[in-house]
Amino acid sequence: MTIVDTKIKHGDASDGLLGGRLARIDGPAKITGAADYAMEHSPEGMVYAVIIDSTIASGRVVAIDTSAAEAYPGVLLVLTPDNALPIKTATDWTGAPPPEVPYEPLAREITFAGQHIAAVIAETFEQATAAAALVKVTYEESAPISSFDDPRSGEAFPIDMMTKEWGDADAALAIAPVRIEQEYKTPREYNVPIEPHGLIAHWEGDMLTLWEPSQWIDGMSRTYAEWFSIPFENVRMLSPYIGGGFGSKALPTRYGAVAAIAAKMLDRPVKLAITRPQTFTAFGGRPATRQTIALGATREGKLLSIVHRSANETSMDDVAIEPLGSVTSIMYAVPNFSSRQNIVPVNTVKPGALRAPGENPSAFGIECAIDELAYEVGIDPLDIRLLNYAEEDPHAKKPWSTRRLREAYAAGAEAFGWAKRSPSVRSMREGKQLIGYGVAAGTYPVRRTPGEAMVRILSNGTIEVASSGIDMGQGTYTILAQTAAEAIGVPVETVVVKLGDSSLPRAPVAGGSQLANLMTGAVHVAALAARDELIGLAINDQNSPFRDLQANTLTIEGGQMSSPRDAGSSVAIAEVMRRTGRDRIEALRNTLPENLRNKDDHFRNFTTISTMLSPTEGDYSMHSWCVHFVEVRVDVDFGTVRVSRMVSALDSGRLYNPKLAESQWKGGIIMGIGQALLEEGLVDQRNGHVMNNNLGDYLVPTNADIPDLKVISVGIPDTNASILGGKAVGELAIVGVAPAIANAVYHATGIRVRDLPITLEKLI
Amino acid sequence: MTNQTTINLEINGQAHTLVVEPRVTLLDALRDHLELTGTKKGCDQGQCGACTVHVDGERVLSCLTLAVQVEGRAVTTIEGLSDPGAELHPVQSAFLEHDAFQCGYCTPGQIMSAVSCIREGHAGSDDEIREYMSGNLCRCGAYPHIVEAVREAAKVMS
Repeated sequence: MTIVDTKIKHGDASDGLLGGRLARIDGPAKITGAADYAMEHSPEGMVYAVIIDSTIASGRVVAIDTSAAEAYPGVLLVLTPDNALPIKTATDWTGAPPPEVPYEPLAREITFAGQHIAAVIAETFEQATAAAALVKVTYEESAPISSFDDPRSGEAFPIDMMTKEWGDADAALAIAPVRIEQEYKTPREYNVPIEPHGLIAHWEGDMLTLWEPSQWIDGMSRTYAEWFSIPFENVRMLSPYIGGGFGSKALPTRYGAVAAIAAKMLDRPVKLAITRPQTFTAFGGRPATRQTIALGATREGKLLSIVHRSANETSMDDVAIEPLGSVTSIMYAVPNFSSRQNIVPVNTVKPGALRAPGENPSAFGIECAIDELAYEVGIDPLDIRLLNYAEEDPHAKKPWSTRRLREAYAAGAEAFGWAKRSPSVRSMREGKQLIGYGVAAGTYPVRRTPGEAMVRILSNGTIEVASSGIDMGQGTYTILAQTAAEAIGVPVETVVVKLGDSSLPRAPVAGGSQLANLMTGAVHVAALAARDELIGLAINDQNSPFRDLQANTLTIEGGQMSSPRDAGSSVAIAEVMRRTGRDRIEALRNTLPENLRNKDDHFRNFTTISTMLSPTEGDYSMHSWCVHFVEVRVDVDFGTVRVSRMVSALDSGRLYNPKLAESQWKGGIIMGIGQALLEEGLVDQRNGHVMNNNLGDYLVPTNADIPDLKVISVGIPDTNASILGGKAVGELAIVGVAPAIANAVYHATGIRVRDLPITLEKLI
Repeated sequence: MTNQTTINLEINGQAHTLVVEPRVTLLDALRDHLELTGTKKGCDQGQCGACTVHVDGERVLSCLTLAVQVEGRAVTTIEGLSDPGAELHPVQSAFLEHDAFQCGYCTPGQIMSAVSCIREGHAGSDDEIREYMSGNLCRCGAYPHIVEAVREAAKVMS
């Protein structure tokens, strides 16, 4: 039997096919309030937990007086390390086997301010909150090391695996005709999804149901199973909608363990929502970073050497690495290169992942440094980027799969009007406003993990797609419907997508901008398999309306099956299903390589990141690319900076739905504007507290901060990068925004700000 | 403090009687006691706008409003903006059409604010829309599309 290839159309109309600008199919639920986010369930008998955090950053808990809280009306339990049900340490996200020690989510030894030390569970939220204020904690306090600016932070630890070197960077730098060297710093930055973190934990015997917003249902479910020594299948996690994550909802948390312990001890469902201030310390955001970059170049601006030394903060008890050499090592062609990285333990929560971990601060360093070199040698900042354009990956020494960065520079410059830039600093002005133009590039790798999906054809002609993969606003629901509709040949309205439930087929983490590519790939494969089976059924079943045609294949278009030899033979899928008496056809498929299809590796693939391929695995180096052109206006008296205009050109390969991809790009750009001008975790150097732990003091962009943004797609399908040709989208667009703004501010004012954010006191 | 009080609320045109402590906020009354979870809790301290509802036609932060304060006043939430199964409110349609949201969590608050922004006569220009929609934070960064949606909805509503 031969199967006619699925017709592939790449329309830009909202025709429901892949590549079309279909409005998001989960949209109606979200605009009417019907979307049920994880925390919006009320299982019978649910009670409320409130977490109590340490008010010191270093020391130990000597005593916890729970008597007043326990006597408070409605209080069911005050949980402390002394009475908490013991649980085991679980395998971590890399797959490293756990040590044989208990896991204690409530701390006795304190290493950061905001560490969980107790919890109060009561009949109502109000009672739990009031009783939590009555718990008295006695500490033995020691002096904290509040940040890596503290002179007592001492020896930084070198992370050898981050070292990247070729040529002789020091020697080449020493004899370079032009040398510049500067330090670039970024502060602690926070994810700040508008849906705060939390969960509802509900035990029924040894079955645990969790309603918890999650970027990684399977990875987190495994952790809960191992904590409580129950089979993975006994954990049901539900997360059909997630109110934003940006990297912060991918891994299990201590408060998650607390809620599940409390629910087990009380045999009642427990809801635990951390407060907005707690979202600054219950999990980590991006660590503070610093980078020293020395560039050696010819007088014409051709790079001869890059020497890069960097460090990020980590916690006292764990290792967090923000890969600061990730963009430095691939953006420009340079014959001599050295990058090394340290980490500095301080009294903070362990830093976590925030949109483009590594690439984001890395680009701030190198993309400011190259701009400084352009002014130093007196050439255009865009020209210096083209002069040093990397035709292949200078680190991996492999060809790019696709790198449409040259096209991005051209398209962005044209749309922005870069040619109108006056070369000198402080040379463009309107009244009291100094105007500056800035440019910077960005990149994000293509990460690849095999995926899995179930596609069902139901008797009424409905197509069902199912996966534990999630949609936190990227558009997973929509693009998977488009993928299945196109592969099978049905109207997109007939596709139902079910996501965010651990009882569905497995999915790896929605992180590293990999989910769209791996899930469209898996759905494509599963949908074609279901389509093959349907066509086989229609050809061979004795009750099929096509039985008498003696056809060796059939086509499916618009939900109608027909023989290519008889255009008048058209029959609806539902009619074929009815006539053949089938109630469903289903295909469960994964894209695992043969050697990983055994049970253990299948489980490992979806519950750890150990099978994720690096962007240089194979014959090519695979990355998305972008460039941002920015116009800023700086008030000459007050130093206030506004981004007044921005054009970005981006190469994310093939876009499965440009309408939704553009939204993600703009979202990344807006977060980048916040990073450049507003966002900074302020740490009290005396006591290690994050002082601005709320949305009134930790400033994220508001509507009034953002001008109209123009985004231009310059990508082409890259089938080395993914089955259907897409590359990374979600994390790409933030990379390069902050340096583009810093470069524009320099052009406007002549003042080079190398420590983010660019606030007015640095300009006056 | 455990004294309970009986309050009568009018929400989306329907009468509800609740027995709650007087310290229960309107937001928690909606979400935890009335299963109206379309109104979102983002910060619980009046900084993000996710909990925006209408009280007697004015936009109000329900996390900074006690349930007892709205007795005898008409409360409208996202669930009451258009009838189930009926046509969407023009602001809702415009949000969908212009992809004015991603994760959707700030969206009910944005929509309730947008309806007010237009009614208040503050949708006269893009800059004015930006200013009068700045009490509602969106971390996904849908702002340019929110401005488009409000601009278009304002035309339909005028």
